[in-house]
Amino acid sequence: MPAYREDILTPKERFDAFLTGAPMDRMLCMPLVTSYAAKIAGRTIKEYQQSGKTMAECHVVAYDKLRYDLIYLFTNCSYVAEAMGQPLEYPDDEPASCPDPIIKSEADLAKIRVAGADDGLFPVYYEAIDILKEKLGDQVYMTVCFSGPLSTAATLRDVELFVKDTYKAPEFCHKLLRMCTDSCKNFIAKLVAKGVIPVILEPISSGSILSPKMYDAFSAPYSKELVDYTHGLGSPVALHICGKTNKIIGKMADSGANIISFDICDLAIAKEKVAGRAVLLGNVTPADVLYMGPKEDVKKVCEDALEFMKDYKPGFILATGCELPKKIPYEHLEAMMEVIRTTGVLPYAK
Amino acid sequence: MSKEALFKDIANAVVDMDADSSTRLCQTSIEQRIAPYETITGGLMEGMKEVSRLYEEEEYFLPEVLMSSEAMNAGLDVLNPHLDKSSMGQPIKVVIGVVEGDTHDIGKNLVRIMTESSGMEIYDLGRDVPLEKFISKAEEVDADVIAMSTLMTSTMDGMKEVIDRLKQRNIRDKYKVMVGGGPISPRFAQRIGADLYSKDAAEAVRTLKTTFGKEQ
Repeated sequence: MPAYREDILTPKERFDAFLTGAPMDRMLCMPLVTSYAAKIAGRTIKEYQQSGKTMAECHVVAYDKLRYDLIYLFTNCSYVAEAMGQPLEYPDDEPASCPDPIIKSEADLAKIRVAGADDGLFPVYYEAIDILKEKLGDQVYMTVCFSGPLSTAATLRDVELFVKDTYKAPEFCHKLLRMCTDSCKNFIAKLVAKGVIPVILEPISSGSILSPKMYDAFSAPYSKELVDYTHGLGSPVALHICGKTNKIIGKMADSGANIISFDICDLAIAKEKVAGRAVLLGNVTPADVLYMGPKEDVKKVCEDALEFMKDYKPGFILATGCELPKKIPYEHLEAMMEVIRTTGVLPYAK
Repeated sequence: MSKEALFKDIANAVVDMDADSSTRLCQTSIEQRIAPYETITGGLMEGMKEVSRLYEEEEYFLPEVLMSSEAMNAGLDVLNPHLDKSSMGQPIKVVIGVVEGDTHDIGKNLVRIMTESSGMEIYDLGRDVPLEKFISKAEEVDADVIAMSTLMTSTMDGMKEVIDRLKQRNIRDKYKVMVGGGPISPRFAQRIGADLYSKDAAEAVRTLKTTFGKEQ
């Protein structure tokens, strides 16, 4: 086994080096620790989702223990919809869900609004960001992940009804998508102003649900609009799709996003389709080896990914394919971080 | 129009997601005094079989399967009032649901659509189903299969709980237990003692038909 080496650079220094092509002490690793931070800190997911102070505290504890390369704030897939007027349910220790989508018909568009920057629980994030910047801002970059236009529209309408609408009432879909896109922009503007990297999340656009053709018609134009908008504000941006992306990973890169964050897709395909265009971030599936273990298998999967992607340009970040569910054993996360500090170390002299 | 040509058109209407044509053509089949059972198996179900193939080959996705299923249901609405139920063979009976604590039911709905359209009798318990309900419903309807789905890791253990309860009551062998869903792997299925695993709706149909020796 290669020798374990303590980090030399801070995650922020390492990330800067990564982006500029300067030497790094090791490769980058970001298990998508989101509400899992609440588990590490001994808080409930409900507390984590509803209080910026708690969210920040949880991430400080989680980061101190694992020292991964990005802090990744995310609560649930429905909070942009919530900011547009959709009521959610908050279970005690699970991410909020949307049991009763508000848009029953086109007339119900009147029941929602384009979310302003301070609507819904957006301010929870701002509070968390401010605290985290003060405590860790010199060491590590922060990202905020939020459901993009298509996934938000599907939440407001109900996924099955929405995908049928793509055939039955495409204009209605586009009206709803317009409102969702504008809501995302308002949130993005404030995130960028706070120096945070936005991550557009589009699980409903995945190849587990939509065809590449439908992706082109209903998801890609809006993702691209958000990417262009974020670039216009002077910030990099990531696009994350969990589920299958074998057939759309190249299209994801067409959005112009700086980081493509992906889940179920052959690394060889991702490499071929995205090469030279975007950083790849992925794709250890949380529910498989990371959940079932054993630790040796977790390490093997991570080592293989690093080995396969080591020459990839503009760069690879070892990550999980989706946020970590609370049942993932903590020692499996430690195993992942251990791999980045053994297999992932690079020759470096300060 | 010959019966065969009509069935082919009905199958095509399903594949083309065309509910209006499906309705109209099924009405024609009634006017031509074709036994509704034959129209269902030879037309509508053949169409859904092709949809299932297209889904498996990633030509069709969720929207297309749902739209085709609507076209099939439009035809069934026409045929069902005329259907002589005694003409149908003994179908495989499946109790299906998303386990307690999880409300993600897209995958389960796809399995319901595909199994139902291949002639199985489906008892859909919906989502967030109390574990006991799987057993009581299976006992009540004398089911052949208990099928459980989940997308969340936090609810996976509910599947094992159902299997354990079946064992405790000495009724484990009465049922084939099938599991599936995002985080479920063949390895997990084996670990909890499930009989069958399927990765998607098309495979679920094949697996069940093979298991019960009904594959044509």
